[in-house]
Amino acid sequence: MRKTLLKASVMSIMMGGLFGLQTVFGQSDPTGKKPITSTYAITNATVFANPSSEGSKATVLIKDGVIKGVGNNLTLPAEAKIIAGDSLFIYPGFIDGASNAGINKQEPPKRPDNFVSSNPPDEIAGITPWKSAIDQFDVSLSQVDDLRKMGFTLTQIIPDGGMLSGKTALVVLGEKNSTNLVKENVALNASLNGARGMYPGTTLGVMAKFRDVYKNTQLTKERQATFASNTGISRPELTPTYMGMMDVVDGKIPVIFNVENDLEVRRALSLQKELGFQLILSGLKEYDNVIDLIKSSGTRVLIQLSVPDDKAIKAQKDDANESVKAQYARVKEAYDKAIAQAAKLEKAGVAFAFTTSGAKTNDLMKSLRTMIEAGLSEKAALAALTTNPASILGVSRFAGSIETGKMANLVISTGPIFQEESQIKHVVVDGNIFDYEIKEKKKNGANGNGNGSVSIVGTWDYNSQTPAGSSGGKFVISKEGSSYSGTITYQDPSGSGQATSPLKDISLSGSTLSFSFDVNAGGMNLTVSVSGDVSGNSMDGSMNITDFGSFPISATLNPTLIANKKP
Amino acid sequence: MKKLSYILAALVGLSMQFAIAQTPKGSILIKNATVITVTKGTLENTDVLVQDGIIRRIGQNISAPSGVQTIDASGKYVMPGIIDAHSHVALDVVNEATAPIVAEVRMKDVVNPYEIGIYRALAGGVTVSHAMHGSANVVGGQNATLKHRWGSSNPADIIMQDAPRTIKFALGENPTRVHGRGNGIQPRSRMGVEAILRNGFSEALQYKKRWADYNAAKSQKGNSMVAPEFDERLQTLVDILDGKIIIHCHSYRADEIYMLINVARDFGIKKLVFQHTNEGFKVAPEIAEYTMGASVFADWWAYKFEVYYSTAFNAAILQKNGAITSINSDSAELIRHLYHEAAKTQRYGGMTDDEALAMITINPAKQLGIDDKVGSLEVGKQADIVIFEGHPLSSYAIPQMTFVDGVKYFDIKEDKDDQRQQVSATEMVEPIMLTEENHRCMQDTEYLFETANALFSLHNH
Repeated sequence: MRKTLLKASVMSIMMGGLFGLQTVFGQSDPTGKKPITSTYAITNATVFANPSSEGSKATVLIKDGVIKGVGNNLTLPAEAKIIAGDSLFIYPGFIDGASNAGINKQEPPKRPDNFVSSNPPDEIAGITPWKSAIDQFDVSLSQVDDLRKMGFTLTQIIPDGGMLSGKTALVVLGEKNSTNLVKENVALNASLNGARGMYPGTTLGVMAKFRDVYKNTQLTKERQATFASNTGISRPELTPTYMGMMDVVDGKIPVIFNVENDLEVRRALSLQKELGFQLILSGLKEYDNVIDLIKSSGTRVLIQLSVPDDKAIKAQKDDANESVKAQYARVKEAYDKAIAQAAKLEKAGVAFAFTTSGAKTNDLMKSLRTMIEAGLSEKAALAALTTNPASILGVSRFAGSIETGKMANLVISTGPIFQEESQIKHVVVDGNIFDYEIKEKKKNGANGNGNGSVSIVGTWDYNSQTPAGSSGGKFVISKEGSSYSGTITYQDPSGSGQATSPLKDISLSGSTLSFSFDVNAGGMNLTVSVSGDVSGNSMDGSMNITDFGSFPISATLNPTLIANKKP
Repeated sequence: MKKLSYILAALVGLSMQFAIAQTPKGSILIKNATVITVTKGTLENTDVLVQDGIIRRIGQNISAPSGVQTIDASGKYVMPGIIDAHSHVALDVVNEATAPIVAEVRMKDVVNPYEIGIYRALAGGVTVSHAMHGSANVVGGQNATLKHRWGSSNPADIIMQDAPRTIKFALGENPTRVHGRGNGIQPRSRMGVEAILRNGFSEALQYKKRWADYNAAKSQKGNSMVAPEFDERLQTLVDILDGKIIIHCHSYRADEIYMLINVARDFGIKKLVFQHTNEGFKVAPEIAEYTMGASVFADWWAYKFEVYYSTAFNAAILQKNGAITSINSDSAELIRHLYHEAAKTQRYGGMTDDEALAMITINPAKQLGIDDKVGSLEVGKQADIVIFEGHPLSSYAIPQMTFVDGVKYFDIKEDKDDQRQQVSATEMVEPIMLTEENHRCMQDTEYLFETANALFSLHNH
C-alpha cells in the first residue's frame, strides 16, 4: 500500500513537473491532456437520481468530483463546461460489489528448498491476510476501462491469491495519475479453494485451516492483551497471518467469502455461525435453494452478474425421442430457474448487489436484461447496481445516488439504461468524464431518430444465390411492442408464381437480424433459417436450409415513409 | 479435566456445526409381513407400527391409529434398513491427502445431499451410510454418518446428528505411497506408519497437558501463563484418547492390524474398528478381544499387492471367532446390493440368515455406535425399514420400499426415470468420469503422485 501511495506521489510530482505544477502554472500543459475545467453541467437530461426515481428532466452540476446541484433552475458557473443532455439519460454511477478489474495476477511465491507440502509456509499455501488488493491494482489495465465502459465507477477490488488472499480495497475506476483509492482494509477476502499439491489442498482442509487461523488469532489477541498489562509474561508470537486476521476477529471488518453455489453458501455460513465473524457472501451463481437461508440469516450478498450460457438449450433438437425430450425439459427448467433466481431474491426482500468477478464484462448488460426478462424488476436491478452495493460496502454517505454532495459518479446513456438499444455515452467517475463512442447502427426504421440503433422494420427486397440459380422476393417485418412479426414471399418451389410464409423467431441481436420460415416443397416441409448483419439499409448474410446447406443472401430495406415514421 | 474439555469444546466448537434441523418423521403401519427383526427372530404374518419415526409396536392384528397409512405387505419381507459402514457417497471431497495426519478435517463440511448415489443406495435398501474420509493419510478426517433422507437440499438434514464421532485411519500401501513415495516424507514404510501414530498420540498427550496446565494456572493469583497454541488436529487425537471418537482403520495385512491393536492398547484406546481387513482371518481372536470388530468385503481382493492373501471365508472366520463383523461396499455400485454381499457369507462360511443379515444391519450399527437407535426392528428404535419382494438373502430379492424415520424415500412403483435433484443448465449430457471402478478411497489424491503411471496402474481402495 505504502509503495503504491509512494508511487502515486512520485507520479504526481513527475506530472507536476511535467505540467509545470498544475495549480500554480495551470496554463502550461504541453501534453494537452489536462482538462481545462473540473466543473461540468449536463443540462436538461432525464435524470434517475436513485432506483425509485421515475426519471425527470434536470441539470446535473458537478465540480471537483462532487455533485453540486441537481435541478432545473441551477445557476451554472462561468467555468462550467456544458454538455447538452437533452436526449440523454443519467443514472448514478454503478458500484461493483467485488471485482478483479485492474488486479495484477500474482506470481506464486517461490518454494523454499526445504519445502514440505504437508506443512507449507502460509504465504505459499495461499494464506496471506496481510496483503492488500491496492498493492496489486493498476488502473491502466484494460479491464478497468472495460468495466467503466459498462457504467461502473466504484468497486471493491479483490486481491489475487488463495484461501485468505488479503484485504480488499475500495477504488474509483478513475484517472490514471491517481491512486483512485477510497478506502483500504475494507474486508478480508476468503475462498474455499485449496492450494495445489499442499496443505490445505481441498475444501476439507481449507475449512479446518480457516478455523485454525481464526482461533489462534483470537488466542494471539488474548496473549497480546495479557502481555500489555502484566509483567513476567512471555512475548506472544506475532505472525503476519495472525496480525492480518486481527481486524476480522475484532469485528472491525467483514470476511468476503467467495461462494458459487448453495452448498458453498452453507459452508461459509456454518463457519460464520461457528466463529462469529461478519460475513459478505460473494460470487453466487446457483443459490435458488438458499434464498430463504440468505434472507433469514440477514447475510449481505453479492450475486455474480452473469447467467448460464444457453448453448445447451439452443442445441435442443425437435426430432428427439421422448426420453431425450424429458431430459431437454429438465435442462430447460434448470436454465429458467437459474435466470429467475435474482427475481426470487428480490421477491424475498433481500437487498442484494452484484459482483462482476468471474463474469464476462462484455455480457454484463445482456445478463442483466436476461434477469429482467425473467422477472427481476428494473428498480431492483438498478438498486443492485447502485444503492445496495453502496450500503453493503458502507459508502451510502457519498455514493449510490445522484444527490448534491455525493461523489460525481454518473452513467450517461442514450436511452433507458436497460433497453437493448441504449448505449452508454459518458461515464463520470470522481468528476472525470470518460467519453465512449456511440455506434451508428442504422439510419432508418421505426426508431430512426438518428441516435444509432438498428432498425429492421419495413419492407426488404432480397436476393439469394442457390445452386438452382438466383431467386428473390420480399420480406416484411413489423414490430408490436417488443416483438417482431412478418411474412416472406418466394418463388413457389412446388408450382409457379409466388408463395408466402410467415416469419418465425425474428430477432435482432446487436446488428444481427435472424429469422426462419417454413417452405412446403412437394409435400416436404423445409425450414429455412436466415441470419445476416444489418448495416444502414442493407443486410448481408446467409440462408440455411435444413439438410441442404447454406447459401448467401442479401437484402435492401425500402425507405418508405411508413417505415421511417416515429412511433 | 472436565473443565478442560469443557473449555476446549467451547473453543473448538465441537458442538455440531449445523443446528440440528428438524428432519421429517413418518407414521405407517406395515401389515402381514414376514418381519426379520435380525435381533429378535423372524415373525410371520406380523405388523409393524411406526409413529413419528419410531417403531412403536411389532405384533399381530395391529390396527392403524387414525391418520396412519397402512401398507399391505402380505407375502413380503420386512427388514431393518441396511447400514453400510464404509462409503464415500454424497461427499464433495474425499481426501485431504496433503499431510500424514489430518484429524482436524470434517467430512460433515463437504456432504452433498444432491448426489444420486444416495437414491441408488435407497433403492438397494440402504438407509444409513458411513461417509468416510479416504485412505491417503495415516490419520484421515472425521467421518460423517448419513441417514439417506433423499430430497433435502440441506446437508445437515442427511447427517445423522445423533451418531457418535468417528475418524478414518489408514495403514499400508496407500499412506506410504502418497506421503513416503509420493512426497518423500514419513511414512515411507509400514514402520513409518506406526511411528506417525505413536508420535501423533504422544504429541496429543503433551498438547492435552499444555492446556490442562494453562487452565489450572489461569485462575491462580499472579498467573503468568498465556494460552498455548490451539491445534484441532492434536485436539482430535486427544478426543480419540479420551474415548470420544471411534477409529475406523483401513487395513489389509495381519501384521499391520496387529500393530494397530498394540498401539491402541498402549494408548488405552478401545474404540477401534478395522476396515477391509482382508487378512483379518489370521488375527481374528485378537480383533475379537481388543476391538469393535472388522468391516470387510464379501469377496473382493487382488487389486494391489497387499490385498492378494484373501479369502471369501474372511467374514465367517471373523464372526465365528467372536469379532463383530460387517460387510461394506466402499463403492457407489456395491452399495446397491449389499444384501447379495451378505448372502455370500452363507455360501462361504455357512452363516445363518440372522448372522448374515446382522452383517449389514446390527453389526455395522454397533461399529458406528448407533446400535441403540438403528440396525434391527425393535420397539423404540428409529424406523429405518426396507420391504423386500423375496427373502433379502435370495438371489431374486428386490427391494420394494425403503423408509428412513418412517418416511418413504424409495418406492419401486414410483421410481421415476430421472431422479436427479440437480440438473446443469448448460450441459445436455452431464460428464461422467469413466474409471475402472467407482471407488473413491483415493479420490482427490491424484496430483500427489509423481507419475501418471502411479495413478493409472494401481487400484485405489
